[in-house]
Amino acid sequence: MAMNTWRKAGTEAKLLLIGIPLFIWTMLPIYHLCLFAFSSKDEAMGGRLWPEHPTLHNFEVVFREQHHYLNHFWLQMWNSLFIAVTVGVLTLVVATSAAFAISRLKVRGGRTVMNLALFTYFIPAAFLAVPMYKTMGVYGLLNNQWALILAMTTIAAPYSIWVLKQASDKLPWELDEAAKMDGASPLQLFRLVYLPLMTPSLVAIGTYSLLLAWNEYLYAFLLLSNDRDVTLGVALGNFLAADDSPWELLMTTGLIYALPPAAIYYTFKRYMVGGLTAGAVKS
Amino acid sequence: MATVSFQNIEKSFGHTKVIQGISFDIREGEFMVLVGPSGCGKSTLLRMLAGLEEITGGTIAIDDKVVNDIESKDRDIAMVFQSYALYPHMTVGENMAFSLKLRKADPKMMADRVAHASKILNLDPYLERFPRELSGGQRQRVAMGRAIVRDPKVFLFDEPLSNLDAKLRVAMRAEIKALHQRLKTTTVYVTHDQVEAMTMADRIVVMHDGRIEQIGAPLELYDHPDNLFVAQFIGSPAMNVMNGKVRRAGGSAHVEVAGGVRWPLSHGPGAEGQAVAYGIRPGDLRLASPDAEGAVSAEIVVVEPTGAETELLIQAGDDQLILVTHGRPKVNPGERIGLTIDPAKVHVFDQGTGARLAA
Repeated sequence: MAMNTWRKAGTEAKLLLIGIPLFIWTMLPIYHLCLFAFSSKDEAMGGRLWPEHPTLHNFEVVFREQHHYLNHFWLQMWNSLFIAVTVGVLTLVVATSAAFAISRLKVRGGRTVMNLALFTYFIPAAFLAVPMYKTMGVYGLLNNQWALILAMTTIAAPYSIWVLKQASDKLPWELDEAAKMDGASPLQLFRLVYLPLMTPSLVAIGTYSLLLAWNEYLYAFLLLSNDRDVTLGVALGNFLAADDSPWELLMTTGLIYALPPAAIYYTFKRYMVGGLTAGAVKS
Repeated sequence: MATVSFQNIEKSFGHTKVIQGISFDIREGEFMVLVGPSGCGKSTLLRMLAGLEEITGGTIAIDDKVVNDIESKDRDIAMVFQSYALYPHMTVGENMAFSLKLRKADPKMMADRVAHASKILNLDPYLERFPRELSGGQRQRVAMGRAIVRDPKVFLFDEPLSNLDAKLRVAMRAEIKALHQRLKTTTVYVTHDQVEAMTMADRIVVMHDGRIEQIGAPLELYDHPDNLFVAQFIGSPAMNVMNGKVRRAGGSAHVEVAGGVRWPLSHGPGAEGQAVAYGIRPGDLRLASPDAEGAVSAEIVVVEPTGAETELLIQAGDDQLILVTHGRPKVNPGERIGLTIDPAKVHVFDQGTGARLAA
């Protein structure tokens, strides 16, 4: 009995030994982010571990766009949102159609498309940044938000197609046949049977591509340059252009920028996990 | 109600020919069962009739109209799948109404049809439920309801009872048969279970390796199997079959099998010395005392009482036979007994071709 208790305690201690450093490791940067955001400028740079006079002043400055780095805060926030949502929707349209065509309609060349989708992983997205820049230049899309939207959709689509195709494959084939015998056209099958059953995976993929676009820096930085067009992420980067950066404002804006993804993630967490493992268990 | 006609139907997957020129007709209102071991092509044949599978050669006609190039939805047939294939995101009512909705049917008529079907199938209390909230038998009924609502020319069933437990299967069997007697819609039913085939069918098509072995009413197949395959496939427990040679001497005839055992034969089938398969149904073997006149000497191996019937595993010469008898014979394993046979109930087949020899 005593032995057992000791052993249990030992296991627990080992877990804690791994868990605590991991927790600190993960939370430390976030803690710093919050520390700066709630401190005045002088205090923030003073190296304290706890804000002695916590303040919301920084948030006021940001929301009222009272600093020259933040002149277009709301506009840039809107840009980020618009681009992320559009990328999410576009990716869903592209990937769902592709997955349905390949998995359910068995179109010719489906395998090739899947292999190509897989192949894109061999090339890091960063390598393609400059070619993409050139391409967008050719189409005259530079400094146009659609350049970023199209680029991000291109990057998000292969993985999305792959995941949705796998999920589609797990839908019972008899459902398609039953619908066909019931008189459904391929489009009706898509709309009335396929989409409702794919909802968890669609939410997962929509969230994935939306967050991918929201968090993107490199492509946004390259393809957009006008202050009124850039995303908030790029605007944050611009803070570092000067020697004397307003760190507390940078951190505050960063904190605000990080909230929507966190909110989205927690809202759809159930679907994210469910969608990526959907069909693993026979229902 | 409709007739269905298969003419020289062939089907190949790549270079593999799975159906090799099949022709038969299904009469109006008939309950036709396609039965055979897995891989015999019965499901493929049904799926070709359903329009889910291309027809490689030959023609399929419904009511004398060739449907080869007509799409499933325009063939006016409904199918019940083995896995039920209910739409998981629709309620029972929506599942049943789906086909009518796609045809943009009048809502009033739609509601009437669903109400009618759910009443026949006792699904009234479940119309608002989702398939996941139903038991296996209820799901099966919804699948049938979906077919009934269509009021099609032909019902197709693809092994609809395979996913149910044994008890429910027997109950659903009776339900489907009662349904057919009520609706009198032409039905094509695929199963690998010969008991299902025997109990439900008006006529049975026995298939094997992409060919038809025999077509006939259940008892016709049981009493007069055309060949060894049908003889062994139909009937449970299966027919006892022993290989031997025909011997005719001095007005009497018998089949001599390995081990020297001689089985009685009526005068008809088989020429002297011909190699034959000698078949006798378990229910046609009779127990006798070991020294009875004309009895074959044998030994009891296993006794399996089931209540109304008793199944005996018996060793006779080199062969093991099964005997089924009503009542409860007082025999024990290891006991010597005699077996008698009415030669008129014997089935004799050519060993090489498997064809029945004229009795």
